[in-house]
Amino acid sequence: MRETPLSNCERDFLLKSIEAKKRLDGRQTYDYRNIKITFGTDYGCCTVCLGKTRVLAQVSCELVPPKDARPTEGLMFFNLELSPMASPGFQSNRQSELLVTLNRQLERCLRNSRCIDTESLCVISGEKVWQIRVDVHVLNHDGNLMDAASVAAISALSHFKRPEVAIQGRDVTVFSPEERDPVPLSVYHMPICVSFAFFQQGTYLLVDPCEKEEQVMDGLLVIAMNKHREICFIQSSGGIMLLKDQVLRCSKIASVKVSEITELISKALENDKRVRKEGGKFGFAESVAKERITVLTREEAPLEMTDVQATADEIISKADAPPEVVPSPVIVATGTGQVGEGLQSTWGLEDDDDEEEEMSDLTEREKKKDEVMVISDSEEEEVVILNQAGQSKCS
Amino acid sequence: MATIQVSEAEKVYIMHGVRDDSRVDGRGCEDYRHMEIETDVVSNTDGSAKVSLGQTDILVGIKAEIGRPRPMVPDEGYLEFFVDCSANATPEFEGRGGEELGVELSNNLYKVFNNRHSLDLRSLCIRPGENCWVLYVDVLLLQCDGNLFDAMSIAIKAALFNTRIPNVHISEDEEGGKEIELSDDPYDCMRLNVENVPCIVTLCKIGHRHVVDATLQEKSCSVASLLISVTHKGTVTCVRKLGGGSLDPDSIFEMTETGKRVGKMLHVPLMELLQKEENLGRERTKVGFLA
Amino acid sequence: MAGLELLSDQGYRLDGRKATELRKLQARMGVFGQADGSAYMEQGNTKALAVVYGPHEVRGSRSKSLHDRAVINCQYSMATFSTAERKRRPHGDRKSSEMSLHLKQTFEAAVLTQLYPRSQIDIYVKILQSDGGNYSACVNAATLALVDAGIPMRDYVCACTAGFVEDTPLADLCHAEESGGGTTLSLALLPRSESIALVQMDARLHQDHLPALMEAATVACKGLSKVLDDVVRQHLQEVSVQTRE
Repeated sequence: MRETPLSNCERDFLLKSIEAKKRLDGRQTYDYRNIKITFGTDYGCCTVCLGKTRVLAQVSCELVPPKDARPTEGLMFFNLELSPMASPGFQSNRQSELLVTLNRQLERCLRNSRCIDTESLCVISGEKVWQIRVDVHVLNHDGNLMDAASVAAISALSHFKRPEVAIQGRDVTVFSPEERDPVPLSVYHMPICVSFAFFQQGTYLLVDPCEKEEQVMDGLLVIAMNKHREICFIQSSGGIMLLKDQVLRCSKIASVKVSEITELISKALENDKRVRKEGGKFGFAESVAKERITVLTREEAPLEMTDVQATADEIISKADAPPEVVPSPVIVATGTGQVGEGLQSTWGLEDDDDEEEEMSDLTEREKKKDEVMVISDSEEEEVVILNQAGQSKCS
Repeated sequence: MATIQVSEAEKVYIMHGVRDDSRVDGRGCEDYRHMEIETDVVSNTDGSAKVSLGQTDILVGIKAEIGRPRPMVPDEGYLEFFVDCSANATPEFEGRGGEELGVELSNNLYKVFNNRHSLDLRSLCIRPGENCWVLYVDVLLLQCDGNLFDAMSIAIKAALFNTRIPNVHISEDEEGGKEIELSDDPYDCMRLNVENVPCIVTLCKIGHRHVVDATLQEKSCSVASLLISVTHKGTVTCVRKLGGGSLDPDSIFEMTETGKRVGKMLHVPLMELLQKEENLGRERTKVGFLA
Repeated sequence: MAGLELLSDQGYRLDGRKATELRKLQARMGVFGQADGSAYMEQGNTKALAVVYGPHEVRGSRSKSLHDRAVINCQYSMATFSTAERKRRPHGDRKSSEMSLHLKQTFEAAVLTQLYPRSQIDIYVKILQSDGGNYSACVNAATLALVDAGIPMRDYVCACTAGFVEDTPLADLCHAEESGGGTTLSLALLPRSESIALVQMDARLHQDHLPALMEAATVACKGLSKVLDDVVRQHLQEVSVQTRE
């Protein structure tokens, strides 16, 4: 399917509102949408909701022979898929530009920054190492897939626990989770991506663009940082021209955002750990809010209510009073009545003169209240309803 | 290739010219275009060569790696060809467009080099049945103006001449396992004997005569061509017919004779040139594309 | 980073350069006669070849053509013998697709595409030898090829890499320095207006070091633009001498 294109009116409206520093959902220019992080029952499964954008990440592992060039390091494999349920424009087998970009950015963000200790993944040097595979699926696309994907991936990696192994000489025994507790991965730091959308050749910038804003943006700058204020990855895309101080400013904004998001992730991880320990219910089923299916619920949207009363009074006082029109019922014949006046039918009328004549006729007739009203848009040839004075009707 | 479209009138003109032994650029029927050869242009490889034949540019790089020999012939190494028709030549080769032509070219190269006499494959063996040298010959097509096979074969011959394979020392360690060590000295290397490497001559039949080294324009006037690979002694190692038209046996015989003659004449100056270039040694300024 | 010392105590790098020195740069325009524009660029040991076809009619599906601008189509590929380990596929893998996308974005910002509505400009770049700074060599070679093809641009697009070792920014990294585990920043710049067409960075760097790194890359790009300018002027002189006679 093709994506529905954005109309020019919508585009102009969005650009004008961005110039006036207002966003569609009422956020400020540097605000993120609500981020909700939930974990599943298995270790390593994580869903992130960034506003309406939903992304699912799953981490799995298996034992494989290592690369020849690095025999003592484990392997990491990242795969991001745009499933067709996320957006009508996504097709499952097409290698689109967006897919390539997201995949490469995710790979570079997590692999090159060395957030996971790969040396600890080695079991037998040169023969068997753990390969950690992160699969990210986009469930709903409402803008800013990169941020959501990176948060999901790093949360899933922090949540994941791999099976314990015992090495005796050249034999490796892998214990299942029932036999021995699985071991968490050693995560050095959490790189989080922050996306900045640029509009009007770099004059305006927004953090966390939603889908409509993404469709009108000129270009995107993605900065990945961790909470120690280290930049892990910068990538600019789209045909925009940036200035050096713009990039520096964005990095400062990014550091603030990243610390907030890292807090959120740690809290979610803590929560999940606590719930599991206490034996409570955990997993996706618990995290979905209970809503009745038969009721259409809508999120509460905050409205600005300052000075509403004063503004409303002002508007009312300035407006003119509407005319008092009390339509009088016209009783045409026994059993029929007419209140108000319908419009003249303009079908089949070629001359304007006829119209005017008829209009003037009608106005004349109005003044005489007990006159015969000719209902002209009837399909019958001639409908003459004689007045009540008692003559027979002919129709 | 930059898409050639030739009108009927041009075709007739070319055919008449060939009939009178004078081609569009003034050559005779058996003359090659201006050829420039340079070796050792890419330093990451074990051997490389760049050949420009008129407007056709070919770059060949050879990398030697240690691998397992083929089970049928355990005491020989082997060559692997890969032809990359890059998008530089024509926009139609972008993405996967050039794959078809590339596969056809590499298959033909396999056939030509598939006999024991062209290259001494025994010298590529390290340990019979276990290790041998595999030469990956990568041909990069940069510009295409007809006569790809000739230019490729000359480039491959020059690159093979230039290939330096490091010498191998086999040492035994305590447990009886054998270790292979490559010598680090850049001068301690093995060279290949390329005396018997054949050169390909492509003959295109235009009208009743045949021409050597056809440009794309001339190729569009011909219906069939014959590919002959000739060694320096004049032995024909491989003959293939390309194109959709038909050739009668007499013209095949004629074309083969011409091919043998031309091919034999090609080898001697080529070897002389390669030797001369080699003798310049390290003082030679590498030009590559910067000419 | 153990073993190889990327910056010695006297301030010399692995190949003997100082911290802010660029590698030897050689370029040539008009290498191929058949293409509309072509250029060959050597930045140290990295060799890149760029070829431009266009502007011509949009090939393939008509729906790709834009009514008000030209479409820029890029393909980045590496020769199989360009790297130390032989590459099996010259193009088509994810890394090459990503590079092609980046090149496309860089040149969409620089080329005056409004002058050629409903047409297509093809830029094909091939790396013949890879020794670090692949993206920068491609961008520089493609700039020269576009100039050779006569396609109007806002300014030269110069690209360079910069790295950071022990509080010193290094300009124009070679392969050993890139894979040493330190930071690599690639910057594509339009030198006169100092506007950045593409910025890309991998590996960890503390935020406070970012301004210094970007400054080093900007200075390197400006130096590069002078060399490119010289090459273009020289080529023009040669061509005009030939055509005059």
